[in-house]
Amino acid sequence: MLSTLLIAQATTTADKLPGWGAIIALGLFIAASVWLGMLAQRVVERSQFIQGYFQGNRGLGPWAIALTATVQSGGTFMGFPSLVYTYGWIVALWIGSYMVVPITGFALLGKRVAQISRRTGAVTVPDLFRARFASPTAGLVCSLLIIVFMTIMMLAQFKAGATVMKEAWPLAVASSPAGATGPTWWPSQWPYLVGLVVFSLAVVGYTAIGGFLAAVWTDLLQSVMMFAGVTVLACLVLTKAGGLEAGTKRAIEHAGPQFATGPGLKVQKDAEGNIQEIAFLPLTMAFSMFVFWPFAGTANPASVVRVMACKNTAVLRRSIFLLAIYNMGIYLPLIAICICGRGLMPDLGKESDAIVPRLALSLTEGIPLGSWLSGLILAAPFGAIMATVSCFLLVIASGLVRDVYQRFLNPAATEYELRRLTYVTMALIGLIAMLLNINPVEKLQMLVTFSSGCAASAFLVPTAMMCYWRRATAGGVISAMLAGSATAFSLNMAGLVISIVNKSGFVPYNLLGFEPIVWGLAVSLLAGITASLLTAPPDEKLVSKLFDAPEPA
Amino acid sequence: MTARREDPVLTSSRREAILVLLIWLVACTYSIGVCYAWGYGRDAATLTYIFGFPDWVFWGVIVPWTVCTALALILGSFVVTDDDLGEEQAEVDLSPAPQEADRA
Repeated sequence: MLSTLLIAQATTTADKLPGWGAIIALGLFIAASVWLGMLAQRVVERSQFIQGYFQGNRGLGPWAIALTATVQSGGTFMGFPSLVYTYGWIVALWIGSYMVVPITGFALLGKRVAQISRRTGAVTVPDLFRARFASPTAGLVCSLLIIVFMTIMMLAQFKAGATVMKEAWPLAVASSPAGATGPTWWPSQWPYLVGLVVFSLAVVGYTAIGGFLAAVWTDLLQSVMMFAGVTVLACLVLTKAGGLEAGTKRAIEHAGPQFATGPGLKVQKDAEGNIQEIAFLPLTMAFSMFVFWPFAGTANPASVVRVMACKNTAVLRRSIFLLAIYNMGIYLPLIAICICGRGLMPDLGKESDAIVPRLALSLTEGIPLGSWLSGLILAAPFGAIMATVSCFLLVIASGLVRDVYQRFLNPAATEYELRRLTYVTMALIGLIAMLLNINPVEKLQMLVTFSSGCAASAFLVPTAMMCYWRRATAGGVISAMLAGSATAFSLNMAGLVISIVNKSGFVPYNLLGFEPIVWGLAVSLLAGITASLLTAPPDEKLVSKLFDAPEPA
Repeated sequence: MTARREDPVLTSSRREAILVLLIWLVACTYSIGVCYAWGYGRDAATLTYIFGFPDWVFWGVIVPWTVCTALALILGSFVVTDDDLGEEQAEVDLSPAPQEADRA
C-alpha cells in the first residue's frame, strides 16, 4: 500500500495497446493472491477465529511489518509521479519526509502499542482504547470514526482497480475516451464493468478466505513486485536519457527553469477563468508535508493493527531498517524516472498521470521479453490497489463485527456466528462498493485524499496519550479524536465547497497556508490535554497495570 | 508517582520516542532550511549538479535522506532495545459494571 503511488499512471489510455503481457501479469497476480488467501486460511483454521482472522495470532515477521505496515491510502499517493513530471525537483522536498517514516512509523509508538495490546488482549485498535481506559464509549467512538474514514478511502479504490484492468485489456475496444464515466451502458463501458466485477470478486474473495494474513501477504508480494518494477524502469530511463543531469537539462528545455528550482510553479484558473500562477510548495506547505507523511502513516489504524500483530520487539527493530532501505530504493528512483520522463515525453499535458506506464511501454519495446516487463510494471499498481482494498476491508469488517456487533449487540455470539457474520459483512461491503462504482462519483475520488489526513488527525494524539500519559482519561482521548477529526474534516470540506463554487480543482482549505492535518493535530492535542485535566483522574489500578513493572511473581 | 518501579518497556519506548521526535525535528529544519535557502527563487542557470542532482536537492534532500537511512540502521541495530512484551493476556470484561472513567 505504501506503494500505491502508481495507481493513477495506469489509469489512462495509453497510445499503444499493452499487449498480452499486462493482462497475463494481472491474471497471475490475482491467482497468486487467491493462493495466498488459501494458505492464510489454513493458519486461521488452527486458531481461535477472532484472534487468528483479524490479527494473524501476533506472528508477523520483519518483512511483513516493514513493507506493509506504514500504510497510506492509495489516494494520497495517486498523483506522485505526475507531480514530479509536472512540477519538477521541488517534489523531492514535498515527498522528502519519507526519510523519517521508517523511524516514526515503528519507534515512536510501536513497542508500547504492541505491549499494551498484549497486556489487554486487544485485537483491534478500538479494543486498545476500550481496555486501556476501561471505557466502552472510547472504543465505540474510535470504531465509528475508523469505519467512516476507512470506508471512504476504500470505496474509491474499486474504481482505480477496475480501470487498471480495463487499461490492461490487450484488444482494441471501440475507443472510450479516458475518464468517460457517464451513466450510460455503451458497449465501450464493458471492459470497465468486467474489470470491476473481476476485481471485486478477487479482492473480496481472498480477503474473506484468509483474513488478516491474506491481506498482509498479498501486500508484501506487491511491495516486492513494485520494487522490482521501479528498479528496472529506472535503469531503462536513465540509460535512455543519458543520465540524470542530462535528463534534468532536457526537462528544463521543455518545462522552463522553475522545473529545477523551488517553490515550483502551479498554473490554475480562478473563479473568472483567469490564469493564475502560484507557488506549488510555499514554505508553510513544505512544513505541512513534513508533518503529513511521517505522522499520517504512524497513526493510521490499519498500520497500528499490523504493529500490534508483530511477533516481538526484534521484528520492530528489523522493520525500521528494512523500510529505510526500501523507501530510499523506491522514492528516489521514481523521482529520477519522472524527471527524465519530462524530457523524454514532454507533451503528456493533462495525461501526465500516465507517465510511468507510457515510459514502460515505450522503453521496453524491442527488448527481449519487453511485453512481460511492461506487464510487471503495469501490474504493480494493480497489486497495490488490491492490497489497499483488502487491508481496509478487513479493518472495516473487524470494526463492524468485533467492535460493534460483538461488543454492543450480541456479546454472547458464538465463534460460528461471528465467522458467518464476517463473511456476510465483507460480501455486502464488496457488493455496495461495486454498485457505487458502476457509475463512480467524481467527487468520491477527492474524498480519499483527505480521509487519510482526517484519520491521522483523529488517532495520532489519542494513541500517543494512551501509550505515554498516565493522567490521560477516556474523556480526554474521546475529545482528542473528535476535535482532531472534526477540524481536519471541516477544513477539507471548506476546500471542497470553494472548489465547487469556483468550479476549480479540489484543494483543501489551507488555513494560514498550513495543510489541515497540521491544524487537526494541534487541535487534537489541545483538546486531549484539556479534557483529560478537566475530567477525574483515571483509576490508579488500571493505569498501574500498564505503566508499572509487573509484580514479581 | 507510585512506589512501584516504572515498566521497563515504557521507559525504553519513551526514550526512543523522544529521540525519534528530535530526529524528525532536525531533519525537518535542515531539509526545508537548505532547500529554501538554496533552491527557492534560484536562477536555474547557476545550478550545479552533483551525481546528476541539482545541488540544492542533493544537499537538502538526498544527503539528509542518506543520513536518516544510516540513522535508521543504527537505531534499529543498537539503540532500540529488545524488550519482553509479555504474555498474551485475556481480555478484561467491562460489560457488567461500567467503570468510573467512562462517564465522559
